[in-house]
Amino acid sequence: MKVRILSVFVFLFFALTIFGCGNSDTKGKPDLVLWHWMTDREEAFLELAKRYEEETGIKVSFELYAPSDAYSQKVRASAQTGTLPDIYGLLAEKRDYAAFIKAGHITDLSDYMNGFIATNKDDYAKLIKKGFISDLTYDMEQKFKEWRRIFFKKALEVNIFPEGNQWGVKPGIYGVPIDVTNIQMLYNKDLFKEAGLDPEKPPKTWEEFIEAGRTLKAAGIPGLVSGWGEIWMIDCFASNYAMNIMGKDKVVATIKGKVPYTDPDWLKVFHLFKEMADEGILAPGIVAMVNKSAEQTFANNRAAFSFNGSWCVNVYRGMNPDLNYAAIPPPLVNKKNPMYIWGGAGASFLINEKSKAKEEAISFLKWLTYEPQQAFLSSKTNNLPANQKCLVDIPPILAQFADDMEITTHPSILPASEYSQVIEFFNKGIQSIIIGEKTPEEVAAKVQEVKERRMEWTKKREARKKQNN
Amino acid sequence: MINRFILEKRLKSVVMHLILLSVAATCILPLIWMFSSSLKTQDTIFSNMHIIVSDPHWENYREAWTKGNFGAYFLNSVIYTVSVVGGVVFTASLAAFAFARLNFPGKNIMFYMFLITMMIPIPGSFIALYVLLQKLRLVNTRLGYILPQINAGLALAIYILKTFFEELPKDLEDSARIDGCGKFGVYWHIAMPLAKPAIAVIVVFNAMAVWNEYLLAMLILSSKSLMPLQRGLMVFQGAHITRYPLLMAGITIAVVPIVVLYLIMQRHIITGITAGAVKG
Repeated sequence: MKVRILSVFVFLFFALTIFGCGNSDTKGKPDLVLWHWMTDREEAFLELAKRYEEETGIKVSFELYAPSDAYSQKVRASAQTGTLPDIYGLLAEKRDYAAFIKAGHITDLSDYMNGFIATNKDDYAKLIKKGFISDLTYDMEQKFKEWRRIFFKKALEVNIFPEGNQWGVKPGIYGVPIDVTNIQMLYNKDLFKEAGLDPEKPPKTWEEFIEAGRTLKAAGIPGLVSGWGEIWMIDCFASNYAMNIMGKDKVVATIKGKVPYTDPDWLKVFHLFKEMADEGILAPGIVAMVNKSAEQTFANNRAAFSFNGSWCVNVYRGMNPDLNYAAIPPPLVNKKNPMYIWGGAGASFLINEKSKAKEEAISFLKWLTYEPQQAFLSSKTNNLPANQKCLVDIPPILAQFADDMEITTHPSILPASEYSQVIEFFNKGIQSIIIGEKTPEEVAAKVQEVKERRMEWTKKREARKKQNN
Repeated sequence: MINRFILEKRLKSVVMHLILLSVAATCILPLIWMFSSSLKTQDTIFSNMHIIVSDPHWENYREAWTKGNFGAYFLNSVIYTVSVVGGVVFTASLAAFAFARLNFPGKNIMFYMFLITMMIPIPGSFIALYVLLQKLRLVNTRLGYILPQINAGLALAIYILKTFFEELPKDLEDSARIDGCGKFGVYWHIAMPLAKPAIAVIVVFNAMAVWNEYLLAMLILSSKSLMPLQRGLMVFQGAHITRYPLLMAGITIAVVPIVVLYLIMQRHIITGITAGAVKG
């Protein structure tokens, strides 16, 4: 009896193990494989893949790997084994992006972006002859216009490696943005009314913002909420005001080590956080708050201001469809300098340089970034399209975000990048200012100390390198 | 005096039960919250914090099942769980028996090497594992997903079973030999039936690990048709927005089989764990 049970068990084990040893997909191999991590866009992507197959006969397989950590692991592991798909996204800092380009995992798209110049026109013609792009619905003329022009200028910047870039990458455009994003100040119109403020006159200057915060506090309404437990959001807020107070050039000079963090202008930046904390404008627990909780607080009318990205439109719609709010650039401290906000490409797709279907992949991404597809993606996902010609039918709140795309910037597109350790001390220092643990002067001194230590270390390392060479 | 003794005893019992109740509440409340949330809508989940839902949306379960493609993923998870648990029990019990009852050169070194693998979590070796599986052409195959998980479960299983097998009286083994049992006969007819509590622990631990596994599946598998149940849950989680009611309904569906398995095996588990822990 027991022998029989053992036999059944062993049979079952091997049958289950061996069953489906290979890929059991029976629908046939796709022409193009695309990897992404964007769960909330999966349905829209699948619909677009269906449309593309109907129009061109090319089967595109969108493969979703989430969460983003798992996705990143998969991309890195696949890069090491040379098994990256035809198209993929890269969730990484620019230096990792550069490493992928240098390893030959990413195609330079400059020629394609700048128009079909002679060297590539032949290939394009071949594709048309093959029927890959012959029956697209949009006007034939549009295909021959410059691809680059359809994008928000800022959307492309993150994918551009300029001449003389610090990573030594051959200058070029290496990614195709599919949407854009930016981070702004939002205010709740109903709470403004409740506190006796004019909901159509949001604060434009820092003084007005502080004054509005005082009025809201007097009415028992918490002022600003944001996910400052995720320190990159503090970095974003501080970076906006640093550029406004001292100008972009001085910020870059600080990163390059030419201006210390103890400079009076930097102290002004740190003091903004102290002022907000002292005035009681910040929502309770803001320094430990993750953005998801901050979004929940704002969506449920429990804070009048929020500092959040354009993705919030979709989030707030899900949490509270009746939320009455608007987006504004952060109120200015220095009226002489412009306010820059963080933003740029939301998600970008890259083409595997080693892909056998490189031209088909490029054609597909071109198709994906033209108006009908971008409008569809935007309507389905409430994200800002990367194609600036698709802004006609977007909701008013998204249009407010779109209006400020031209004033966006991002640390990754600045000509110098700060040490991660300095950024960490900078952001954590601001957290300690908010909770009253340290003064702005103490934080500035500490950040500068870390900066100098890192610069010294880099100098020594470079000297050692030179010596070894 | 007696009254004071009884009073002290009762007081201790009340305090003990209060502590146990609060610990139990911390375990059960998240499950109740999960179930309650699975019956709400996307906007009431953020505004209505009551555990009891006045207007339950049972259709969330149907939607979670269909949108998450749970039918196919469920079957896959059953295949993976049965295969891995079977593989671990079969391989580990043979190895543990050998470590406990046989003498061969390098026995202790090999045993400690097995134990060392317990210190390395699978995610720590993801890239190396992927490269290896790619070379073996096992990426995007069921076997490629099952084998690393069997390997991951072996160390603890061998450790638990070895301590059980070592406790077997030598006389029992001698009697079995007199009755004509070979080494495999002793293992199968004597050692395995006596190790049922330990096997129950191994089954539950590994079944839970495999049932809830997701990261390795993301790394190794590409075809949707091969993905386990946890893949279905990811459909409801976006980068910025999560469809909580459907996610909670999906998680409720996903935890049912493992809770049932735990309840079935419960009585063996305490014996198994304590035996392994004390004697190890």
